[in-house]
Amino acid sequence: MSKIIAVHSYKGGTGKTLLSVNLAATFAKAGKKVCIFDLDFRAPSLFAILKTPHADFWLNDYLNNTCEIDKALINLSSRIPGDGKFYACLANPSTEAIRDMSSKDRKWEMRALGRLLALRETLLKDEKFDYLFFDTSPGLQYSSINAIVAADFVVVATTSDRSDVDGTKRMLAELYNLFEKKTGLVLNKVLDASATAKKAEMAAKIKADYQVPMLGMVPCFCEILRAEGNLIFVQDKPDHPFTKILAEMAKKIETNEVT
Amino acid sequence: MIRNDLSNKKPLNILEKIEESLERLNDKIEVMIELQKSGGGNVNNQKNSLALPDASLDVMTLLSMPDHLRKTAMAICRCSRATAEEIAEQTKRARAVESAYLNQLVIMGYLKKERKGRKAYFFIDKETQS
Repeated sequence: MSKIIAVHSYKGGTGKTLLSVNLAATFAKAGKKVCIFDLDFRAPSLFAILKTPHADFWLNDYLNNTCEIDKALINLSSRIPGDGKFYACLANPSTEAIRDMSSKDRKWEMRALGRLLALRETLLKDEKFDYLFFDTSPGLQYSSINAIVAADFVVVATTSDRSDVDGTKRMLAELYNLFEKKTGLVLNKVLDASATAKKAEMAAKIKADYQVPMLGMVPCFCEILRAEGNLIFVQDKPDHPFTKILAEMAKKIETNEVT
Repeated sequence: MIRNDLSNKKPLNILEKIEESLERLNDKIEVMIELQKSGGGNVNNQKNSLALPDASLDVMTLLSMPDHLRKTAMAICRCSRATAEEIAEQTKRARAVESAYLNQLVIMGYLKKERKGRKAYFFIDKETQS
């Protein structure tokens, strides 16, 4: 069963963070213990989306080996209805931290991979977390590839944009396949996906095009754009179609039925 | 009683020593076979040409590796420290195959090897790579 899930894409703006946050929230709402990690060290955004209080320790500190993981976790469970647990581990958004993270060498990255791999023992085994979500930066960044290597399952967010399609295909062939990672494709911002027949036709075309299993298709919702990334959608609008689509994706991940 | 113990243990000890020596020889032969496959001649020359001064097993290095070595290297990344048998359990390949690949990664400077009794442990040396 997939326990560590990385959300990745070739290009920016494909909806990785929105998907990660809301997928994690979907699992928490269903009573699971989850944690979302911001691995986009070049452009941290999770602190703003989750509107977290000031953090004393960041994911940067854990990867720098200056604190243990428990110090860097922020408990946001009170924001989710039910008994589930929702934690976040954030990337430091200060300019100094961004500069520091962009100047790391290969050896540091190797040790960072070791620290990410260790989360399986500390969080999944010892602290009994059900799922860890890695929200990554787009493209072939060290931090993203580290996250992909450490993950059990990679959610690949893509759009119909031509440059995104080509790049995603290349990444599927040259990155995820080489690391033998299970992947599920999410086609985001789909226009005119209201008709069921059209949806089925598009899903079949995408599956044939990319040669990977589809996790889901998300129509372009004006409400999401209007929200300006300012909410955990799954929590604020439980009856919205987006919430239902995410619940279907979560079920597929949980039951290992990404086909 | 004591004589009995000695007479029981001695042949066993000798057999264990022989087995240990055979395993060492086996490891060496596997390395030589691997080096020959990858076009190497003299083991020492090969060691010098393949070993990087500061070889680190980071993800970009993993990406650039041939598929058979990447599989082994990723397994050791997950375990930190393991025997060829433990790696073989993960990769579902034969122990002898993993032993050869692990030894090749040692020669390339990505892993360290340590013997404890009859077992050989492979690990990423994070101390020297800091």
